[in-house]
Amino acid sequence: MNVTINQEGNKYNVVLEGRVDTTNAAQFERDLQPLMNAENAEITVDCSAMNYTSSQGLRNFLMLQKNVMAHKGSMVLTNMQAQVKEIFDITGFSNIIKIV
Amino acid sequence: MRISRSLSARLSTTILLITSALYLVAILTIAYFSQKMIAQEAYKNASNVLNATIQDINQTLDKVESSVNNMNWIVTEHLDDTAYLYHITSEIVASNEEIEGSAIAFCADYFKDKHYFSPYSYHDVNSNAIYSKQLGNDNYNYFEMEWFTVPFHTKLPHWCNPYYDEGGGEMMMTTYSYPLLDEDGNVYAIITADISLAWLAEKIRSLHPYKNSFTFLLCKNGVYISGDEFSLVDNQNEKEKYINTDYYLLGEKMASGDSGSLRIKDKIEYSFAVYGPLHNGWSTAIISPYKDIFIYLLRMNFIIIIVSTIGLFLLFVLCLRIIKKITQPLTEFSVATLNMAKGNFHARLPQINTKDEMKQLYNSFEYMQKSITLYIKELRSTTAINERMESELNIARNIQLNMVPTEFPDNERYAIHATLQPAKEVGGDFYDFIEVDDEIFFAIGDVSGKGVPAALVMSITRAAFRFLGGINLTIDKMIEKINNTMCQRNNSKMFVTMFAGKINLKTGVMQYCNAGHNPLVIRHPDGRTEFFYAQTNIAVGISNGFSYELEETRLEKGTRLVLYTDGVTEAEDIKKKQYGEQRLLNFVSNLSDSKSAEDLISDLMADVKAFTQDAQPNDDITILTISLK
Repeated sequence: MNVTINQEGNKYNVVLEGRVDTTNAAQFERDLQPLMNAENAEITVDCSAMNYTSSQGLRNFLMLQKNVMAHKGSMVLTNMQAQVKEIFDITGFSNIIKIV
Repeated sequence: MRISRSLSARLSTTILLITSALYLVAILTIAYFSQKMIAQEAYKNASNVLNATIQDINQTLDKVESSVNNMNWIVTEHLDDTAYLYHITSEIVASNEEIEGSAIAFCADYFKDKHYFSPYSYHDVNSNAIYSKQLGNDNYNYFEMEWFTVPFHTKLPHWCNPYYDEGGGEMMMTTYSYPLLDEDGNVYAIITADISLAWLAEKIRSLHPYKNSFTFLLCKNGVYISGDEFSLVDNQNEKEKYINTDYYLLGEKMASGDSGSLRIKDKIEYSFAVYGPLHNGWSTAIISPYKDIFIYLLRMNFIIIIVSTIGLFLLFVLCLRIIKKITQPLTEFSVATLNMAKGNFHARLPQINTKDEMKQLYNSFEYMQKSITLYIKELRSTTAINERMESELNIARNIQLNMVPTEFPDNERYAIHATLQPAKEVGGDFYDFIEVDDEIFFAIGDVSGKGVPAALVMSITRAAFRFLGGINLTIDKMIEKINNTMCQRNNSKMFVTMFAGKINLKTGVMQYCNAGHNPLVIRHPDGRTEFFYAQTNIAVGISNGFSYELEETRLEKGTRLVLYTDGVTEAEDIKKKQYGEQRLLNFVSNLSDSKSAEDLISDLMADVKAFTQDAQPNDDITILTISLK
């Protein structure tokens, strides 16, 4: 999993590449850490290059979402691949995380 | 030990070889230049001796010549007094000790009544007195002798070749002849002086620049005089014997009156000759064998070789000992290393008294010993902790596996079977089922993540399900209660996907609620198999107070349900390829109707295993199947 974060003011462009699974979920969590405490952050996550996420990855997205909301920010996941979208759909995550 | 010995031996041998080579070069260089120098010295020495001798002999010859020449006018004045002529000859003999005899040989019939007339005086060795007599007669026809004929014709003084004077001196001699000329320039008499060759031989015998030097005189006619013998090398056989040899060349050079030096090879021996002409046209040479010249050099070289051989041997022994002593600690280090390898980390190290690389090695070694000892100690305690944790985890695993029902009903109305296989010691999956009053409650769940955190959440969830199963609640309300409980104090944002349902065995009606779980597989009595997509609700533990939706459907007898967690569909082989939903669907579709619930579970597990091969399972795997009969 490769995480690239570009910041312009309170706008964050995050690019995810690869897969989140058991072996790298902890690293993924650390990679997302800079976003956790950003105030009023407007986060756009480009998921076009993410091929898979395990339930731990979902948990990371959930934690990020909650933290962003707590800091009065917003987060949107974009360009998600079909099989990843399916995971979000099945678990009901599509209902609480904004995916366009 | 063998290694250290071979090291010292090898080093010592190398040093020995290099030193020997240097020695050899030095000795050869010294020998070469010494030889050159000695040869030059020898040549100089021999030349000096030769020249001194030549000068000496020439002086004597001069004296003889002047003794004779001085009598010239006296004879002329006393031609009428023949008795006085005898006096003259005896005077000549007396005046010069080298002169053995002297004659005044008149030409034939110079005196009317005397055909032969030659007053002659000689030195008698026995009585050491001088006697005189008239020499010529028919038996001693001096007119035909060389000493007479040559000066008679050339009218010049002459040294004749050595000859044995029979009837005269009765010895091997040479004669100096001086012609007396009258007013018309004709020779009327020859004055002579005889010199014993024994005297000359004696002179050259004393010439010994080197032990085996050999000196000789060469006269004009090839007579050769050495210290010991006279011999005439004028017969053909003798000459041929020497032809093409260096001696022959020497002879020719000497005969030509040259002076110089020449290297001579005689069989295997080399010599050198210095030669020079005498005043009277003869030549003398000294031949000195190189063997004698270089004898001291050879002796010196011999001594040098012996001394250096002993020196090299001592050097070798010394090197061997010193290197062995220096490398001795290495041997002990090697023993210490071996001991350490066997587990003795306090192996004794050699005593090092020097402050060199050996001391560095000692320090490093000692440091290594301490480090390893410390490391092993830490490793032991870490291992102990790990072992304790492992044993605790194993206990936890047993507890967890005993939480889920392991006795499966298989009766005339339905059969249930399930399996739970955590990827680690403990996992976050669970299943459960209870039969209450013709109704079967069942659930399958998957906690996000795995391992101990997931297992803790799993146990709570499962306990809640068990507890609520006994209360008369619809499935959706049950899940809502579980969700609300979970959402409190869930700071780590763990969540559970869950599918729970209740089947009425009398009516076949199934009430169910899906909280973010995978679709289950349904196989209809006619064999048709498909995914059963339920309304998706959010996973449990995320949204407090979320309202879950209850759904209902009717199942016919002979229907099979297969519930699973994503550990099945997302099981990966070593190339990260997933087992997939389609393969699961195909597997259930291809089942025979008679396949028991138990066999279904074990066959499906086998199929997953066949797919993943040796890849490590990356998620917990749980399967629950319900067959209605």
